[in-house]
Amino acid sequence: MTAFHASPVVASIFSLIAIASLLLAFVMLGSRWMRHYLMAFAAQSWLIAILSASVGYIDRYPELYVIAILTALFRGLLLPYLLLRIVRRMNVEREIVPVLQPSSSLVIGAISVVFALAVAEHIGTSLDLSSKVVILALTVMLSMKLIGYLMLAARHEAVSQVLGLLVLENGIFLGTQILVPGMPMLLELVILFDLLIVVVCFGVLVRYLMGQVGSTSTLHLRRLVG
Amino acid sequence: MCDPRPMWNTLPMTVRDVVLQIAQVGFTIGAAPLIQGCIVQFEERVQRGRGPGIFQPYRDLWKLFHKQIVVPETASWLFWIAPVVAFVCMMTVPMLIPVLTNFPLPLSNMGDILGGGLILTLGSFMITLAGLDSGSAYGGIGSSRSAIISILAEPTLILVFVGITLFARSMLPFVVNHLLVAKPAVYLGPAHLFLVAAFFILLTVETDKLPIHSSTHIEVYMIEEARILEYSGPLYGLLKWASMMKQFVLYTIFCNVLALPWFMSSRGLAVGVIGAGIAVIVKFVLVAGAIVVVDTIQSRLRFYRYQEPLAASFLLAVLAIISTQIG
Repeated sequence: MTAFHASPVVASIFSLIAIASLLLAFVMLGSRWMRHYLMAFAAQSWLIAILSASVGYIDRYPELYVIAILTALFRGLLLPYLLLRIVRRMNVEREIVPVLQPSSSLVIGAISVVFALAVAEHIGTSLDLSSKVVILALTVMLSMKLIGYLMLAARHEAVSQVLGLLVLENGIFLGTQILVPGMPMLLELVILFDLLIVVVCFGVLVRYLMGQVGSTSTLHLRRLVG
Repeated sequence: MCDPRPMWNTLPMTVRDVVLQIAQVGFTIGAAPLIQGCIVQFEERVQRGRGPGIFQPYRDLWKLFHKQIVVPETASWLFWIAPVVAFVCMMTVPMLIPVLTNFPLPLSNMGDILGGGLILTLGSFMITLAGLDSGSAYGGIGSSRSAIISILAEPTLILVFVGITLFARSMLPFVVNHLLVAKPAVYLGPAHLFLVAAFFILLTVETDKLPIHSSTHIEVYMIEEARILEYSGPLYGLLKWASMMKQFVLYTIFCNVLALPWFMSSRGLAVGVIGAGIAVIVKFVLVAGAIVVVDTIQSRLRFYRYQEPLAASFLLAVLAIISTQIG
């Protein structure tokens, strides 16, 4: 766990990558176009792959290289490609009726970052973690989770909801890369395949929606049948 | 970083420094139309036009100052005083910021970054009042639009200043400049980079280059231009000149304080000052190129999406402040 006492240069590289991926989460929050969401998600996954590779290089965990390559391939290429296919086939280019305007969701996102910082500082003081990198990782992780929840709540296109889930998961993954870099590799593989299943399930859901309701918006799912 | 104010207040006021301060203001007055000309020329070239040449603003000003003044019957004294106040405000701000030298000159300690921002806003406040003064419809619409945009831009500007204060531990632009030159780690830190991005968006807002603005004279899209539609002759020339100087001053703050703090005269010798002047022009041309590229590739938005770039800028400033708190 050398992330707790990293050298200043390493710490600044970590913080730059972490904050840049937070910024990409905001790009997703502030845009209306599905294609922008997908590109931002892919870029975020590549950044996280770079982060885990650099953690692996600095802390000497050779298995992190494998995880970095898998992250880049799965989250950076395969998942965006699958989602892009859904977007193309269903012809959903953008959110038709935004529940929250992009600008107000950006401001709410900024407030949630401040909240995440407060929580992270609290956790840091109660666990006696004085390292800046740890606080930053906690802040970025918590705020990406909050942004993911916000995207799940405030969007009603099925594709942007699954992207909200993926952002949430990316946040947790980013946090674990910095906080507990020596996680067993099996766990990572399980998570990656889980994500694949999530995307496939959503693909089925979107097709079902298209067939039954004639649109991909989850606003039309009002009745509880069971 | 300790508070440098006491040290700088005790500097002896020499003739050289007074001359340099006058040169800073004179340089702002003289070079502002050149930057405007460069921007217009670049825009034309990017759009495959020919362009009027980079010296066209000087010719325009010459023409306007040789014209007659026509004043609306409904106008009051405000109509006469607003251009003068705006022009004087833009002459005052260059004294407070590093235009040519990276050390403070006489009267530089009149105000900090916040004071400079106050005076900049005073100038545009007077123009807004003058737009309302004559009671014409276009002046009213321009004034109300520019008021709503500045209401949204001002909190972000204050947040950017707060961010600068947090990482430099000072509100003096000279201290920020020295810190960024001395410590590349601070320059490359996320706090500084986000502040640069947030200020870049503010720069497009304040210099009338937001994607909702229109550079052509179509009344429906006019914001800044609509406020001064009633002016003519030398008064109009003064307003034009003041807005070019505002652009120049904002570029100066962006380049010499935040983004490109190098190549300034540090000893005040004549060679250094002339070199700094050339460097400033080069830096501004670079920023103008970036602005023109953004302005060209970004499609025009409808007016009621004005809050989106401002919300993005607000967000960047908040992220910068968060990262100063952590980093």
